[in-house]
Amino acid sequence: MTTVSNLLAFFGLVVTLLIVWRQSWPARRRLFVAQSLLLAALASAVGLFAHRRALLLVAAVVVVVKAWVIPRVLSRIGAGAPVRPIAPGRSSGMSVLVAGALVVVAYVIMLPVTAAAELPTEGAIPLAFAIALIGLFLCVTGRDALGHILGFLVFENGIFGLAILATYGLPGIVEAGVFLDVLVIVLIMEAVVVEVRREHDSIEVDRLRELRG
Amino acid sequence: MARLAYGLAALVAVGAAALGLHGMFGGAFTLRVGWLVPLGGLQLTLDPLAGFFLLVIAVGVAPASVYAIGSAGGARRGLGAYLVFVVSMCLVPLAANMMTFAIAWELMSLASYLLVLHERESRESLRAGWVYAVMTHAGLACLLAGMMLLGAWTGSSEFADWRAAAPGLGGGARSVAFVLLALGFAGKAGVIPLHVWLPLAHPAAPSHVSALMSGVMIKLGVYGLLRASFDWLGAGPPWWGVAVLIVGAVSSVIGVLYALVEHDLKKLLAFHSIENIGIILIGIGAGLLYQGAGLEALALLGVVAALYHTLNHAAFKALLFLGAGAVVHATGTRNIEEMGGLIKRMPWTAACFLVGSAAISALPPLNGFVSEWLTFLALLQNTHLARPSLSLAFALGIAGLALTGGLAMACFVKAFGITFLALPRSEAAARAHEAPPSMRIAMVLLAVTCVALGLGPTWVVPALATVAGALLGNTTPVAFGDWLTLRVSDGFATGSALAIAAALGVALVALPLGLRVAGASRRRRAYETWGCGRIGQTARMEYTATAFANPFKRVFDFLYRPTKKLDIDFHPESRFFVERIEYENPTRSIFDDWLYRPVLDGLSGVARAARAIQSGSANLYLAYILAVLLIMLVLA
Repeated sequence: MTTVSNLLAFFGLVVTLLIVWRQSWPARRRLFVAQSLLLAALASAVGLFAHRRALLLVAAVVVVVKAWVIPRVLSRIGAGAPVRPIAPGRSSGMSVLVAGALVVVAYVIMLPVTAAAELPTEGAIPLAFAIALIGLFLCVTGRDALGHILGFLVFENGIFGLAILATYGLPGIVEAGVFLDVLVIVLIMEAVVVEVRREHDSIEVDRLRELRG
Repeated sequence: MARLAYGLAALVAVGAAALGLHGMFGGAFTLRVGWLVPLGGLQLTLDPLAGFFLLVIAVGVAPASVYAIGSAGGARRGLGAYLVFVVSMCLVPLAANMMTFAIAWELMSLASYLLVLHERESRESLRAGWVYAVMTHAGLACLLAGMMLLGAWTGSSEFADWRAAAPGLGGGARSVAFVLLALGFAGKAGVIPLHVWLPLAHPAAPSHVSALMSGVMIKLGVYGLLRASFDWLGAGPPWWGVAVLIVGAVSSVIGVLYALVEHDLKKLLAFHSIENIGIILIGIGAGLLYQGAGLEALALLGVVAALYHTLNHAAFKALLFLGAGAVVHATGTRNIEEMGGLIKRMPWTAACFLVGSAAISALPPLNGFVSEWLTFLALLQNTHLARPSLSLAFALGIAGLALTGGLAMACFVKAFGITFLALPRSEAAARAHEAPPSMRIAMVLLAVTCVALGLGPTWVVPALATVAGALLGNTTPVAFGDWLTLRVSDGFATGSALAIAAALGVALVALPLGLRVAGASRRRRAYETWGCGRIGQTARMEYTATAFANPFKRVFDFLYRPTKKLDIDFHPESRFFVERIEYENPTRSIFDDWLYRPVLDGLSGVARAARAIQSGSANLYLAYILAVLLIMLVLA
């Protein structure tokens, strides 16, 4: 179990770092799908080893919602946006470095938790936490509304992974509630983004500054 | 509809008076409704002090409501707020736990705030409302902090438990609670330098509300101060009393000085409220000091003087505000420079205003005289105190009270003389008309109250002594002479208001009688006023309020800091002929310039600095979230 969870969480982290690194929007969306699938695999692995059938169902829901419905909505939101929002000449190297630093921070913060926990999944907990932190970091550095939404989703994935790993299986009802929330949030964001774009011809965050009173 | 509501308010006042008298003479009850109010439930308790303040409320509310029937007519604006205001004021002295008190207090503040905003269209009203809201809520914050600290230290939110547990608290803790509570209550009472809202808010409200705010509401600040210092916290260190005494003396002198140079009739009265609150605080401060020194009889005298002045001020200040309201109603202006000659057009109002003016100037045989005399007697016996350093505070109080008395008299010579005597200074004043009957009834009621309180101290003082005795925990009865003569402190001083009144009456009768006996001619002769030999006499040649106030402005220019503006247009042919001359001499408030301005500038500086984090960048806002999350996690 330890090997499986460590490996899956590690792959999840790698995918997250790739999301930070890549700038093209379709690629980032595909990477998010990959990350969600890895999470589903993690959930089903924990479900199998811990003998919790409900987690298998949760994994199926993850696949449907996060690997299929949400990416479709995302592609609809991003339909009119430029493929690369970042101006040429601005590299994402710095972002990757900060993301790396966040991984270290995640390990430091999670030290007391991993020291106290006696779960087979404890080694992966800092990794999942790092995914959450990097998701928040993606939010912070997002240059348009799409970046914010993606960052939020990655953050949520990280929290989800953390929850599964730290509790060794959550009650399904909690997970179901969280999924519903995320789905609703993404749908609302879609509406908002479409509206903002129609009003302002752009969803770049820098232009929000003009709204300041 | 409006008549019904004001009639209801008057009925509430009558009920409050009955309940108050019942409470003053020993009636007591406790009412608990657990589910009505969170954190302890509604809890009302009647005791002598609460009873006395209910009576004060009734003295103001009943005439003001009768007056409003005539002055407000059928206007519906502010009806609900007025009723809430009246009822919440009645609840404040009855409240017996923290939550009940806080809710009643805040309802009272909010209702009066709405009433201050009566003329929502005028900028002046909006500013008055804003300043009032800020000051009253700053006071509320102090009150809540003090009450919560007391609640935490004593482990209860009921006032009865505070009373029992307070002597066990440390000296520092009690002083912290005292300072917080005193600041909150002093803000409501309008004590200098927390008075800034008062001269703005009182004129902005309709006159019957001004009468209540000035006559009654600020008295509840006095109520709170009495409750907190004598009842909840018990006897404190001498500096409590010294602070209250000196703040009172300063408030009375500065309040009357500002009133002297004010030409807005209602603002002038508002400044006099500050003065009278100062006089009340002088009595309370003396009581606190004597109580701390163990001189129970003298402490009782100080508190009785303060209570008497509280009742008196409620009567004559409500009377004056109602009179001012009638004048403003008739002339459409509050500026006394545009009035004059109203005594012929509004004789009832003029007579009532004169009674109020004489009462507030502490002239015998009216009520202001009795309470200021008692305050003097309480102050003059400071030689019983063992520490001579405390006598210095008393000396300041005596000097302040004496100066205040003289200046108040000068101010009301101005207020009455310029408003009611001589020729009308404007068209509006010339066309003025007497107030409708209900307004006159209200004023006459209050004038009669003033006279009665002035003539009957031998009945009032013993009643107040039982209230003060219950508050101070003083069980030995104190004798105050018989029905004719008031004997204070076993013959330290005696006085008989009835004898003074009789002597004055005899003098009034004797003077014409003597002239008659001496054979003087009593034929009425009508002739022009002597006008320095000029041919025409116009209102422009009259003495003005500005001219009246000018000598005071010069003597006290360190306080007023007047700026002189002289604007003269000369005749184009010769500089010896003046076409037009304008003279302005406005004063500037040192409290605005030296206390509030720096504080407000500092606050807006901090706010401007804090604005830097509000950059408008969504990324930055998200970064704050990340940073806070990380910091919390690292610290956790």
